[in-house]
Amino acid sequence: MSAYEISLLTLVGIHVMLALSLNLITGFCGQISLGHAAFYGVGAYTAALLAKAGFWMWATLPASVVAAGAAGLLVGFCSLRVRDDFLAIATMGAGFLFIGIVRQNDALGGELGISRIPDPGLEAGGFLALVLLFTLLVIAFCVYLKRSWLGFAFDAVAADEAAAQTIGVSVADYKLSAFALGTALAGLAGGLYAYYLRSVGIEAFGFPVSILILAMVVIGGMGSIAGSVVAAVLLTLLPEWFHFISDYKLLVFGGLLFAIMRFAPGGLAGWAADLLAALKSRT
Amino acid sequence: MNLLVELGVQGLINGAIYALIATGLAMVFGLLRILHIAHAGLFALGGYLGLVITNASGSFALGLAGAMLLVGVCGMAMYRLCYEPILDKPPYVALIASVGLFIAMEELFRLVFGAYGRSYRRVPLQGALEFAGMRIKYAELGVAVLTVGLLVGLALFTSRTRVGIAWRATVTDSRMAASFGVSIAGVRYLNFFIGSALAAAAGVMVGVLNNLVEPGMGGVPSYKALAIIVLGGLGNLNGTLVAALLLGLVEAYGSIYLSKVLDRDSIAFAALIAVLLVRPQGLFGLRS
Amino acid sequence: MYRSFRRALAASSAACALVYGLGATPTLAQPPIKIGFHAGLTGPAAADGKAAEAAAQLAVDQINRAGGVLARKLELIVYDDQFKPEVVVPLANRMIGDDKVRAVISAGFSAPTRAAAPVFQKAEVPYIAAISFAPEVTRAGDYVFRVTSVGEVQGRAGAKLVGDVLKKKRVVVITIKTDFGKTLVAGFKDAAPKFGIQILKEYEYSPGDRQFGPLVASIKADAPDAIYATGFYFTGGPLVSQLRAAGVAADIVGPESYSSQKFIEIAGAAAEGTLITNVIDWGSQSPEVTQFLADFEKKAGFKAEAVSAQTHAAISVLAAAIRRAASDEPKQIRAALEKTDLMTAIGRLSFNDLHEVRKVFPVSIVRNGAWTKFTTIDDMVLLAPPTK
Repeated sequence: MSAYEISLLTLVGIHVMLALSLNLITGFCGQISLGHAAFYGVGAYTAALLAKAGFWMWATLPASVVAAGAAGLLVGFCSLRVRDDFLAIATMGAGFLFIGIVRQNDALGGELGISRIPDPGLEAGGFLALVLLFTLLVIAFCVYLKRSWLGFAFDAVAADEAAAQTIGVSVADYKLSAFALGTALAGLAGGLYAYYLRSVGIEAFGFPVSILILAMVVIGGMGSIAGSVVAAVLLTLLPEWFHFISDYKLLVFGGLLFAIMRFAPGGLAGWAADLLAALKSRT
Repeated sequence: MNLLVELGVQGLINGAIYALIATGLAMVFGLLRILHIAHAGLFALGGYLGLVITNASGSFALGLAGAMLLVGVCGMAMYRLCYEPILDKPPYVALIASVGLFIAMEELFRLVFGAYGRSYRRVPLQGALEFAGMRIKYAELGVAVLTVGLLVGLALFTSRTRVGIAWRATVTDSRMAASFGVSIAGVRYLNFFIGSALAAAAGVMVGVLNNLVEPGMGGVPSYKALAIIVLGGLGNLNGTLVAALLLGLVEAYGSIYLSKVLDRDSIAFAALIAVLLVRPQGLFGLRS
Repeated sequence: MYRSFRRALAASSAACALVYGLGATPTLAQPPIKIGFHAGLTGPAAADGKAAEAAAQLAVDQINRAGGVLARKLELIVYDDQFKPEVVVPLANRMIGDDKVRAVISAGFSAPTRAAAPVFQKAEVPYIAAISFAPEVTRAGDYVFRVTSVGEVQGRAGAKLVGDVLKKKRVVVITIKTDFGKTLVAGFKDAAPKFGIQILKEYEYSPGDRQFGPLVASIKADAPDAIYATGFYFTGGPLVSQLRAAGVAADIVGPESYSSQKFIEIAGAAAEGTLITNVIDWGSQSPEVTQFLADFEKKAGFKAEAVSAQTHAAISVLAAAIRRAASDEPKQIRAALEKTDLMTAIGRLSFNDLHEVRKVFPVSIVRNGAWTKFTTIDDMVLLAPPTK
């Protein structure tokens, strides 16, 4: 495998984890988050700062997970008081606040970001193996979650909060759990990103990135694990493969987002399900 | 002291522009509960059309009116082609569709009008007025006059004319309004027309104030307007106006006195989150 | 007779071979020298990326038309980094492994360049940054070079311009909140005391701001003699226009990022008298500069500005290094780059031990709707770039 393929695949793995982490919050539990990139950023900056302070990757990665999860809990508490459309905007606001705070503080890197993060010591191939391992673990975790009682509770909250409350589901607790779990996973992706790129800066964690992650989840199909995986892979690889539309990349992306929502709002998973149903009904 | 007053005036002028943009967004949300992010794309389109028409015809009045009319029609088309078919889907569908539209629009502007942005050949409303020791540009005065005129016009329209009252009834309770014979589709088209025309007016004025119309000019308004309508109580037009003016003032004073703490955009969201923690329904929303 | 015929045949064959060999067409010569190139061709500031691409292609075409380098043509392998640092790492690997480039020019902004530098350093491929200001780029290693001055150096030049040349002492400083703005202002403040500059107040604004009403009102109250305003043409243009409209008469000094005609278009008459520490010497008589300015305007359709000039210079520097090395081996190119002493579109360039560029700053002023030469800041002690 060439160095190019290894680095591309590493990026794919990180994006898959990121998409799955948002899928947990938005797809499983129905909480629309427009600021998810901020938690990705919390993980990345945590790993970056600790790595430059001399800590090993085996210490910084768990720290990223915990930091991002804690930030998610904080935002989750605030989200308890609002729902739906307000929540989307409040999470968007949280994302902007994160960027704003980092930009103002030179200790956190400020405008210049943090660079020359120490090499984790693994070769490119070894690092890829690590990322893929984590990706598989995250996928397995999401599958397990969906089938567990926690997943059932998330489903109930997503479907109808008021009804869930009446059957004894403690809506507030589960919303918080969803946020904390999803953002913790995003933190993991962020920590790995910091080691992949060896530098972090605010441009990678802003509102457009939050939109991109949400696009992955929605295009894959809200709540579908396989969908999020496939969409993350496609959205990472397509710009590489379609060099000939280079100038029109963003136009195609925007048009695609719109078209999928307009014609196949269930995303790839929904479309696949429809296809299967159509095939079954023919046989 | 004079500086404080000047900052206040500047804040109100910026707030007026925010009000024009946010009112359109609030109208769409109030009626359809869609977060119409592509609204910012219509704002930018208004800026471009105003510039192109003015440069071609030499008349700014034509440019402004033409932009408002054309973008109003585009808004209606956007509703018909993009939103109407997905009204029955969960809210995130319309949100993402709108985001996709907005991204595509920005790129189209870049491809059609050039990546560097465009300027007026002869900038309209040049010159300034000396008033109480302050210098207010005619363009800024124009913003104030236009905003007051358009919003007062809207208020009169919704309270004095049959069509306007029908619109208000539909926003409050569309089924009841339909049972009285109001054409829901007609009201929706009107809604988008007016809201988009207001955004276009804002876009033209911003283009004049900066003498620069750029493909990405809708970026900041896209999310700031959202913050404003939430602060104003999602769908409440009066609340939106107040929230817009308030934000303009907070930004004006904040960017001078608080700039070491937070940058201008973050101020909007810090304010938003602070308000939502205390009053989750926004400043003027009704507790549901 | 037979013997003389054979001799004649041999002689004429030899003559033919000689003539043919001397006039051999490049189709039989060696393959082109591949040079990697990345810039942000799509996304928010694609204007700069496209201008840089045009300038780079222009440089390559000019060199190839003049015979190429080491009798081989240069070939530019262009990639779009989309302003995303994570995209540029696979691209860098692709350039190194698949395209097998001999060297790479970055006309990308700081984030992608900063991420790519360690990759090229590890692969031992020379990497020349044409426009990125991030200080850590050259610290990635000795294969990384930079042809643009870092922000601090330009800021110091700005301070000398304000305090020593214009002799204005009461100054207001405006920072655009990017790494570019921050480093410029740091350099300005660092050198300000040397020239007796008193900084009355400092202001900051975000790259998305176009409405500077509050800033303008406050600056008017400060009543400075000069304003050091950092930003880009799309912020500086509106800012200058709004300052003049409010009646602020202070001298306005800015960085090279205002060097495009667009800045003047936006600010109109208000732009008159604005000074910048530029990279383009509009009064230069050197053919390297004048030829570039003329050819670029013809090719691109608009006047050259800092980004295009710097990218063109980066290609020139690389081509000269390949010639000096008499080889296309990356190691030799690197060694040759260190010895650069070349006249380019942005003036005479050489590198210090950190591979930062040493050059003077031509100062430009807006007169009659165009950038014209004002003076040159050439205090090489003041303008010394950061070292190891």
